[in-house]
Amino acid sequence: MPLLEVKHIFFGYDQRDVLQDISFQVNQGEIFFLLGPNGCGKTTLLDCVLGLLRLKGGEIYLNGTNINGIKPSIIARQVAYVPQSHEKTFPYSVTDIVLMGRAAYIGIAGSPSGEDLDIVDEALATVGILHLRNRRYTQLSGGEGQLVMIARALAQKTSLIVMDEPTAHLDYRHELVIMETIVELVRETGLSILMATHFPNHAFYFENNDIATRVTLMNDSRFMTAGSATEILTEANLKSIYNVNAQVFTHHLDTHHQIRQVVAISTSKLNRNPGYPIDTMGRG
Amino acid sequence: MPRAILGAMVGGSLAISGAAFQGLFRNPLVSSGILGVTSGAGFGAALAIILFHATAPIYISAFFFGGLAVLLSFLIGRIYHTTPIIMLVLGGTIVSSVFSALISFTKYVADPTNELPSIVFWLMGSLASARYQDILVAGIPMLIGTLGLITIRWRINVLSMGDKEAQTLGIDTRVNKCIVIVCATLATAGAVCVSGIIGWVGLVIPHIGRMLVGNDNRLLIPTSFSLGACFLILVDNLSRIITGSEIPLGILTALVGGPFFVYLLKRTKGGGW
Repeated sequence: MPLLEVKHIFFGYDQRDVLQDISFQVNQGEIFFLLGPNGCGKTTLLDCVLGLLRLKGGEIYLNGTNINGIKPSIIARQVAYVPQSHEKTFPYSVTDIVLMGRAAYIGIAGSPSGEDLDIVDEALATVGILHLRNRRYTQLSGGEGQLVMIARALAQKTSLIVMDEPTAHLDYRHELVIMETIVELVRETGLSILMATHFPNHAFYFENNDIATRVTLMNDSRFMTAGSATEILTEANLKSIYNVNAQVFTHHLDTHHQIRQVVAISTSKLNRNPGYPIDTMGRG
Repeated sequence: MPRAILGAMVGGSLAISGAAFQGLFRNPLVSSGILGVTSGAGFGAALAIILFHATAPIYISAFFFGGLAVLLSFLIGRIYHTTPIIMLVLGGTIVSSVFSALISFTKYVADPTNELPSIVFWLMGSLASARYQDILVAGIPMLIGTLGLITIRWRINVLSMGDKEAQTLGIDTRVNKCIVIVCATLATAGAVCVSGIIGWVGLVIPHIGRMLVGNDNRLLIPTSFSLGACFLILVDNLSRIITGSEIPLGILTALVGGPFFVYLLKRTKGGGW
């Protein structure tokens, strides 16, 4: 049985359709990438999986349970969320923030127990920031802050984590730190990840590290295809989705390891017409 | 004695609601009156002063209009079927200004020899009329609201992550927001209807609490209550000692609290903002 099963879902705001007949599955220990241009509906799809939006049609199953109309605390024990950028308000300590990952297990009048604190320490250790536990999280760097968000998701003890562009706004090194952390998580704990990203190379990175990786391309509220990074992120597909001329390179590090990356060469100028007949304007 | 007890309850209730709202609205500049409860209660009291000239109707009317103002803010905030924080704040601002205008209107039509001074004094806040029966009547909503907020205090931490994140962390944000708003409104309306409008406590006492114990609402909520209680007893005593006649509380809270706040700000370097 797949961990997450999305069956023919439809969603829209008022008159505008955002998702049309989308179906896919995420299996145990797999990372599933959503790629597509800005505004294609990636974040909306993630919100549906998190149970935040009411579908217009179709069903979403988490561990075999339809999430429609289920209490937030039940959903939050199955799927956790790492936001793109977390808006910091009050200067809580790192421990306080990660403790909030336990909310789904604590009653309305309750406070976290010692056991919850142990789980928090474990989560912080897993992502390698136990030394930051007493720091104010408003004073952390962007990369460290995102590790705190991943630790909070781990404290929820779910089998699936949804990530919405988790490396946006991060510097060169911290982007890699986050990716390495996720690779280790998937490899060691058998977690499943559903991730929206703007960078095809993220998917190649996981595939290069021998993680079960599947990719789908989204455009105009629909899914194009789903498959391995090598199958899907081809030069032809990137051209048709993004209008970008790109080339995929394979490099052999040594006899056992090869890495694959895609390099963007240029935008397709030929297809940059504005969509209306130009010669009606400025004639004469 | 009744005056000291009432002072402690009023100060504590205002401060604890302020702390809860600051967490809920994710904004440190919010006070206990953000959803219009103080202006609503002010109008209720002014109306009762003009119509009845007696104490009991003032309490009831102030409490009723305080609650009504919050309900209106909440309904305005629900225009999009959900209640995003920004819409609630906007609703509160609209309702507050409408009730402020209504207060001005009651002042305008009030009899300037006796009614107008009563209204003005009520709006400046005072515990002078405190009797034991006031504690019984107004104490009930204050107690319920305060205990409710203390019970749910850790959830306020989670709510301060914002609606989307709080929901994905497993909290029914709609229900939890409603509980916080109802509790804070009960506490504030109970306080305002016996004491009049006492500013400053619901805004700044929570910040003094943050400087002392940090931002975790598990500690901050009870700390705000005790600080607010102590602060108001202190200020109320000062108001009786300084001059022969009593100085209204609303004036003194700011005059005493302002310098003290600046002092604490320097001592603790602002608590990490």
